[in-house]
Amino acid sequence: MRLLRAGRWITAIGLVLLAGIYVRALAFTPIERFQGPAQKIFYVHVPAAWCAMLAMGLVGIAGILYLLLKDPRFDRFGEASAEVGTVFSLVMLTTGPIWAKPIWGTWWTWDARLTLTLFLFLLFIGYLVLRGAVTEPSLRARYSAVLGICGIPLLVFIHLSVYLFRTLHPQPIVLKPSAPSLPGPMLVTLLMSFGVFTLLYVGFVVQRYALSYLREQLEAAGGTGGGGGGGHA
Amino acid sequence: MPEAGPANAGYMVAAYIAAAVILVSYAVLLYRRTRKL
Repeated sequence: MRLLRAGRWITAIGLVLLAGIYVRALAFTPIERFQGPAQKIFYVHVPAAWCAMLAMGLVGIAGILYLLLKDPRFDRFGEASAEVGTVFSLVMLTTGPIWAKPIWGTWWTWDARLTLTLFLFLLFIGYLVLRGAVTEPSLRARYSAVLGICGIPLLVFIHLSVYLFRTLHPQPIVLKPSAPSLPGPMLVTLLMSFGVFTLLYVGFVVQRYALSYLREQLEAAGGTGGGGGGGHA
Repeated sequence: MPEAGPANAGYMVAAYIAAAVILVSYAVLLYRRTRKL
């Protein structure tokens, strides 16, 4: 299947470029004077957080479109994006505490930003558990769409949490009303990392979408004696 | 040579390894799941 092959290629290219980002970040990007080498965790933590939030945003949008159009492609996309979002959330929630320990002196603190990002991870898990628990496809798609839409306000809260609450978490340094407050080489590394993580997100989602599609085709073929193939890719 | 700051490179290495392990494991998992079909 062409979609699956495309997803594999995009993922392979993304992984090679990720190795390049590692080399650039570790060997060719200056060390921040106050935080030391631990600051470089930022180049994987922030893009992973971006991909997790992108994934949830697209799960929500796919949910809205599914409820409006009843097109199974949006349900399939929501499932793919949620699973991939879980992976990026895991990267975010692993690298964040590893940065926090040397900088804050603690692995974790229950402040607004951290707690809300944990909710995001749990929402992804809840979405996937819900899909596993409901067997009837149209009901599963409808319930999942509603749960996915609940993620959109959560994203807004996560973004605004550093402004609305007293929090240890750093303020945005790139996505803010004024210009990014980061020296040139660090900003270039961060933007390249954003690009590579987004490419990996695309590669993973395309493969995961193709996997769902192929499984549905096989089930349809098994259920109707080989007469499947009426779905939309 | 500018001041390098605190010596916490171990945390940086641990975070980079953790991120790589998670992402590569998922890529391999997806590849194996799609190959089975």
